[in-house]
Amino acid sequence: MTPVNIAGRGLACSLGLSVEQVLASLPQTAVHTTQVTLPGAMAGDYPFHAIPLSQSDWNERARELVQRVAAEAGAQQIRDGVLLIATSSFDIGAVERGATQMDYQAFADKVAAWLDWSGPVHVVNTACTSSLNALLAAQALLRSGEATDALVLGIELDNRLTLGGFAALQLLSRTGSKPFGDQRDGLVLGEAVAALRLTTREHAIWGLAGGANVVDGEQPTGASVRAVKEMCAHAFADSAVGADAIDLIKVQAAGSPGNDAVEAQGLRETFKHMPPLVSLKAAMGHAMGASGAAEIVLLTACLERGVWLLYEHEVDKELGVALATTMPQNVRRFMATILGFGGSHASVILERA
Amino acid sequence: MTTFAIQGRCLAVPPPLDWREQLAGMLGAKPRRIGNWAELGLYGALNCLAEAGEKELPPDALLLLGSQRGTYVPTGQALEQMHDDLPMPLTFLQTQPSQLLALLAAQMRWRGHAAFIAGGTPQTLLELAAAQCGSAGVLLGWVDEMEGGGSLWLRLKPCEISGGKPVVASAESMFSLEATHLYVVGNGVQAA
Repeated sequence: MTPVNIAGRGLACSLGLSVEQVLASLPQTAVHTTQVTLPGAMAGDYPFHAIPLSQSDWNERARELVQRVAAEAGAQQIRDGVLLIATSSFDIGAVERGATQMDYQAFADKVAAWLDWSGPVHVVNTACTSSLNALLAAQALLRSGEATDALVLGIELDNRLTLGGFAALQLLSRTGSKPFGDQRDGLVLGEAVAALRLTTREHAIWGLAGGANVVDGEQPTGASVRAVKEMCAHAFADSAVGADAIDLIKVQAAGSPGNDAVEAQGLRETFKHMPPLVSLKAAMGHAMGASGAAEIVLLTACLERGVWLLYEHEVDKELGVALATTMPQNVRRFMATILGFGGSHASVILERA
Repeated sequence: MTTFAIQGRCLAVPPPLDWREQLAGMLGAKPRRIGNWAELGLYGALNCLAEAGEKELPPDALLLLGSQRGTYVPTGQALEQMHDDLPMPLTFLQTQPSQLLALLAAQMRWRGHAAFIAGGTPQTLLELAAAQCGSAGVLLGWVDEMEGGGSLWLRLKPCEISGGKPVVASAESMFSLEATHLYVVGNGVQAA
């Protein structure tokens, strides 16, 4: 099967406007949230991971971030490749400000124009799992020979609808993100623009071995244990590896009381010997549809540069899992998992060349 | 080239006047608070599956859903609600296209790979399907609730045997009663 490699990456999130800035900021993770005030029945202040780029015009800010991140990933080399935009909120922030009309195709055309893109463009929206599903689609297109290059571009930017909707569903924390924490009380959302440049034409440090997405309709707003287990099994099969070949798992663990427990149980029932676990949510927030790509960018950079996460909270011992407090050595393969709305459970396996 | 045989279809553009009653009959009860777009999607997908002679979608089949305007209506409603309060929880859920994927999965008693692709065309959706689906094929839908509404679905399975003389497929010819096969070739989609 044709190997699909990750030839470039770019990232803007609350920790910085480039991979280098993000890595430099990582050891001081706790200081990177701002407060957002919401009205109504769930009124109050909520922590939020905003990208540190001030710009009053939503579209101009989005354009600058998309161009910056895509350039960091080397997108200018593959403008006739496939562009897969992954988002759960499109440009709804601009719609809220009266700066544009809601229009999926116009959004796709706008982003393509920002990048001077001439190849095919697809917009994937499977809520939080969007960018992992975009990666799976890109891999399939590249494996089939339909294309040799693809850019997966996760875009999740400031808007009131997502924050308000999550607050209305009582899913947000007012105190902070505590993945698998014993005091976990909800999600902290964040902005991110992340790019992964995929290719079959050149070697790279990391390759995309495979992955899987399992939608379970019985839990339309949450995760299910059986779907977590099936997701893992399908991802192993697609990647032609076994559970014992996984050296590290980047978990979803967004700090949800229910979903974190479900994810932990699913992993416990899948792995006879649990690999080290890592969560990036406390550092960068949950960036919804961009989170899969953003967390893969950050984790691969961390593994290459020997930078690791600090956790300031205690892990819930009843979950039967632990987060790795030091970097695991010799990580050859890791799983990156996102669980989301719509009963979507997605995971990809990356392999070091 | 990937060749698909059309095993079943639902071409509800516009849907029949009694489509809501038909849907309630298929579900055993009137759906509650899932929104018009999701109801239209369920109506078309379940009809398509029935025409294909399948009670359930095979676990390794792919479910791909596309739309030109998707959840615009509930999103507009949620934005209205946010002028002075939070959106209603169920209204917010209706803004998420992935909720329809979950509803479809639940109704079809199915767990598998499903995705929503926003915008584009039915042809580009089929090209993605051709790259991603295996031998169990794909349930491919194109659902819009605006401008009279439409719920277009095809149950497609890869095959070796082709039928007729293929011609370049418009969206209309993809979703027509005449087509028996669809072909995904290097430069687009053909139908025969």
